[in-house]
Amino acid sequence: MTDYLLIQAFNGLVIGIIYAVIAAGLTVIFSILKIVNFAHGEVYMMGGYFAYFAIALAGVPPLPAVLVAMALSFALSVLVERTLLTPLYSPTTERKGDYGILVTFGISIFLRALALIIYGPYPLRPPSFWPGVAVVGGLVMAWDRVFAGGAGIAMLIGLVWFMNRTSWGEALNAVSQSRESAAIVGINDQRFYMLAFGLGGALAGGAGALVGPIYSLSPSMGLLPDTQAFAIVILGGMGSVAGSILAGLMIGVLESMFVALFPDPSRSLTYAQAFSLLVLMLVLLIRPTGLFGRAHVAME
Amino acid sequence: MSDNKIVTPTRRAVLAGTAAALPLLGRSARAADPISIGWVGPLSPPGGYAEGTNMKNAAEIAAAEINAQGGILGRQVEITYADTRGMPAEGRTSAERLIQQNKAVAVFGEFHSPVALAEMEVYHKYGIPFMACDVWSDQITAKGYPEVFRNAPALSLIDVTIGQWIVAAGFKNIAIIAEKNDVGLAARTLVAQELTKANVKFTAVDADPNLTDFTAQILRFKSTSPPYDFFLQLYSEAGAYPMIRQAHDLGFAPTANCGIYNSGGEAVDPTFWENVGEAGKYLVTENVGLPKAGWNDKTKAFVAAYQKKHNADPSGAVMESYDGAWLLFDAIKRAGGTESKGIIHALETTSYVGARGKYTFSTSKEPAWHYHQFLEAPLSILQYHEVKQGQADAPIVWPKQFATVPYVYKRPGT
Repeated sequence: MTDYLLIQAFNGLVIGIIYAVIAAGLTVIFSILKIVNFAHGEVYMMGGYFAYFAIALAGVPPLPAVLVAMALSFALSVLVERTLLTPLYSPTTERKGDYGILVTFGISIFLRALALIIYGPYPLRPPSFWPGVAVVGGLVMAWDRVFAGGAGIAMLIGLVWFMNRTSWGEALNAVSQSRESAAIVGINDQRFYMLAFGLGGALAGGAGALVGPIYSLSPSMGLLPDTQAFAIVILGGMGSVAGSILAGLMIGVLESMFVALFPDPSRSLTYAQAFSLLVLMLVLLIRPTGLFGRAHVAME
Repeated sequence: MSDNKIVTPTRRAVLAGTAAALPLLGRSARAADPISIGWVGPLSPPGGYAEGTNMKNAAEIAAAEINAQGGILGRQVEITYADTRGMPAEGRTSAERLIQQNKAVAVFGEFHSPVALAEMEVYHKYGIPFMACDVWSDQITAKGYPEVFRNAPALSLIDVTIGQWIVAAGFKNIAIIAEKNDVGLAARTLVAQELTKANVKFTAVDADPNLTDFTAQILRFKSTSPPYDFFLQLYSEAGAYPMIRQAHDLGFAPTANCGIYNSGGEAVDPTFWENVGEAGKYLVTENVGLPKAGWNDKTKAFVAAYQKKHNADPSGAVMESYDGAWLLFDAIKRAGGTESKGIIHALETTSYVGARGKYTFSTSKEPAWHYHQFLEAPLSILQYHEVKQGQADAPIVWPKQFATVPYVYKRPGT
C-alpha cells in the first residue's frame, strides 16, 4: 500500500509540475498585461510541434529541441503581442479586458486551424528524451515522465530566479504593480509587456515540448491544459507566480490521490476533475483572491 | 421579280421564339448541372478530425472515379465537404447548409454518433437521404427515419461481438475504460451485458474524451486484487494512444497475465505504430473492413488507389466512406434521377458489391436498429503480433469463420 500511494503521489507530482509550468506562464502574462490569454494552450501545442520538427527536420537532439521550442514559442508570442495586443496599452481603448479576451480567443482558433493545415490531423510522437522505464522497488515510471518532471522543475526555478534576482524580473514586478509608477522610474513598460507575453509563451511551449513523447502531439492538445491552467491560476491567486506553482503541484497530486483512493473505483477517474474544481471552490470560499492573490487585476 | 426574298423576322416573332425556347434551354442547362451530394464529418478539433480527413480522402477518390466514368445519368458529381468539428450543433448547421445552399440531393459520411443523430433531424425534416458511414450508435437506425441508412456495423453488432470474444478467450476479470459520451457508454453497457451473462467480473470506468493521462487509473487497476487479466479500452479520441503506451510503460498490459484491447478505430489508423511503438504488440482490436482473405476486386482496387494517393492503408472507416459514396451513386442511377423518394426506394432495394462486400439494407424493424441497417457489415477481431504490422496482415482471431489462426488469443511470451 505504501508503494502504491508513493507512486501515485510521485505520478501526481510530475503531472503537477507540468501544470505548474503552463499555469506560471499564464500568470506571468496576466500579472503584467492583466488579460487572460485564451491562446496559451495553443502556444503549448505549437511548442510541442516546434520541438518535433526541430528533431525531425533539423536533427536537433531531444533536449536542445526543448530549448528551440521555447525560443520559437517566445518569438511567436512576441509577434502576436506586437501585432495584435498593442491596443491594450492605448489610453483610447475602452473595455481592455473584453478586447484581450476576444483577441486571444481568436488567436487560439487561428493557431489551432493553422496547426491543422501545416502539421496535419494525425497525432505525431517525437522521440523519447530517455527511453525505457525507471523501476525502483515497487515504483515504476517511464523515464520520459521523470525527465519531464526534472526539466519542469528546472524551468520553474529559472523563472523564480529570473523574476526575483534579475533587474528585468524586478522591472516586470514593478510594471505588474503599477505601470505608471514604473514609467516614473524610467522603465519602458511596452518592452516589458512584450517580454512578459514572450516569457509566458516560452514556458507554455517548453511544457508542450516536454509532454510530446508522453501524450503525442495533435492540434487539439491545448484544449484541456487551457482550462486546467485557468483553474490553477485562479486557485493560486490571479497574478501570483508562486501561487500558480503551488496550485499546479496541489492539483496534480490531489487529482492523482483522488483517483487512487476514492472508494468507488469505477467513479474515481470520472470525478477527478470535478474534485479539483471542488478544491478550487473551497479555497475561494475561504480566500476569495486565491492562495496568494492580489486584489488589483485590471489594466490601468 | 424573284420570289427569293429575305424574310426579316419581326421583333415580336423573335421574342416569341426565344420565350418558347427558354424552357428547353433551362432543361438542357439543368441536365448538364452536376449532381450535388453532401459529405459530413469532423475535419477540425474537437472532433476526430484525423479519421474524418481519411474518410474525406476516400470520398474524393470515389468522386474522381465516378466522374472519370462520365458521372451519373450523364451528369458530373460534385461533393461538398462540410466540417462538423465533431459537434452536434455544427452538424445541424452543416446539414442545413448542404441542403439549402448547396442543394445536396443526398448526404453521406459522419464519424460521431451524437453529431449524426443531430443531423438526422434535418435530413428527416427535408426528406433527404442520408448514408451514415462510421457511426455506431443503435439509435441512428432505431429511430426509424426512412431517409437514414447505415453501412457501418451498429454497436449491437460490434460490442456484443467484443463481449463474446472476451468470454471465448477465457478472461475472468476485466478492467474497462470507456469514453464518456453516448457511444462509449452504450458500448460499455453492451459489453457489460455479455460479460454479466457469462459471469465474467469487470470494473468499468468512464473517462472524459479529451483526457490524455490515465496513469493514476492504470496504477489503481494494477494494484487491485484479485488482479485484472484483461484491459478493455472503449476509447477512440486523442487519448487512445497515450492510454495504450501508459498501460505498457506501467507494466499493466499487454503482459503474460493481462491482455489489452482498443475499440474505436485508433488501432487501425496509419499513425498507430508511430505513436505506440512496442506497446502495440499483442494489442487486440476490431476491423470493420473486409478481412484480407475476403477482399474482392473493388477492395483491391480501392486499397491500391488509396495507398498510391495517400501512402497509407485505408481503415474500415475509410472504406465505409468510399462505399457510402458509391452506394448513393448506385441508388441515384437506379432511381433514374435525383428525386429523394426515388433514391430512398432505390437504397432499400440495394444489391451492390463494394469494397466491403455485398450491400443490402434491412427493412425490418425488429429489433428497431435493424431498420435500414447493413446487417452483414463485415466485422473481425485481429491481434497484432509484430511491431509495425499492417492491419491487413495481422492474424484474425474472431469470429471463427474469419479466423486466420487456430487460437482465439495469443498471450505475450507464448
